[in-house]
Amino acid sequence: MDVKAVDKVYVGNINVAARRARELLLGKLKLGDVIDWATTFSLWPVHLLTSCCGAEFAATWSPRFDAEQYGALPWVAPRQTNFIIIEGTVTRKMACALRITYEQMPHPKFVIAMGACALDGGLFYNSYNIVRPWEVVPVDVYIPGCPPPPEAVARAIIDLRRKIREKKLASRWLIEGWRHDRDPVKPADDVCKWWRP
Amino acid sequence: MKPEELLELLKHALGGLAKEVTVRKGYVEVLVDADSVVPVANKLKELGFDHVKSVTATDYPKESKIRVTYHVSSYLREDLAKPILGLSVDLPRDNPVMESLTGVWRSSEFQEREVYEFFGVTFRGHPDLRPLLLIPELAERRVLRKDFVVKEESIYEGVPHRYQ
Repeated sequence: MDVKAVDKVYVGNINVAARRARELLLGKLKLGDVIDWATTFSLWPVHLLTSCCGAEFAATWSPRFDAEQYGALPWVAPRQTNFIIIEGTVTRKMACALRITYEQMPHPKFVIAMGACALDGGLFYNSYNIVRPWEVVPVDVYIPGCPPPPEAVARAIIDLRRKIREKKLASRWLIEGWRHDRDPVKPADDVCKWWRP
Repeated sequence: MKPEELLELLKHALGGLAKEVTVRKGYVEVLVDADSVVPVANKLKELGFDHVKSVTATDYPKESKIRVTYHVSSYLREDLAKPILGLSVDLPRDNPVMESLTGVWRSSEFQEREVYEFFGVTFRGHPDLRPLLLIPELAERRVLRKDFVVKEESIYEGVPHRYQ
């Protein structure tokens, strides 16, 4: 087949897509950029359903809003994921589960807080049993709304992808061993007393 | 079965065990002493009430009592499931202790744990009495009692008055 004719085929030819990706990645970019590029297309979130936002989370991956096109696939085991979406209210007991889940994930890992409850309490503002997620884990992107529509969740994933690509979060984390831009928002360690022996 | 018919049935069946059987707006309430709650529950189970829908408690700080209410219903007899039946026990507020009804209705186990952690009511004979939803430090404070006051948080805390 004529190479120039093949170049004009933009959709559906996997050989052409693979060749172009190889030229782009290995020919022009550094290895760190390749890592960032790969991370943006393999953001696998943990399905940590804490509240009613989980319904919208599920709708995001339904055929209509198909968030799998961004390379994100909800997964059950936290040890095989790199991305966590906090779906709604975090109670004090659930904060321990959230922190343990976050600690189990391999780095580089990213957090999205979804819904008004995860921002600042929302409906349960003056409650004795509420923990803000930023007291437990460092949050990258917030999604406002009660609950946020699936479009907003998809938008947040795209925002996170852009953030990873532009700031080179994944590769810098791997090279430096720690994510230094999260240092000012380092979470409180002793949220639910499980830190103590 | 109408609530009035159920009232007559209960008065006949329970006899002197219940302190008070009332019906109001379709809600039948059986008020018993803390000593006779297990015999009354057994009698209700013999009548056909085979599960507990909910266990809840109400705090009356002025009268210094806590009223624990079991809402019971029936799967097998449809006529008994129509009206709402509450089995209530009045307990002293400073030392609320009662017999657990898990031996009669097994479905009340988790809900008695909730009443235990939110109101501090201790159930004797409960197989696994520990906090269910709250962390232990919070469960000690008995958060759903009336004298527990949540600290008010201001939305504009720390923000200077820009809009006057």
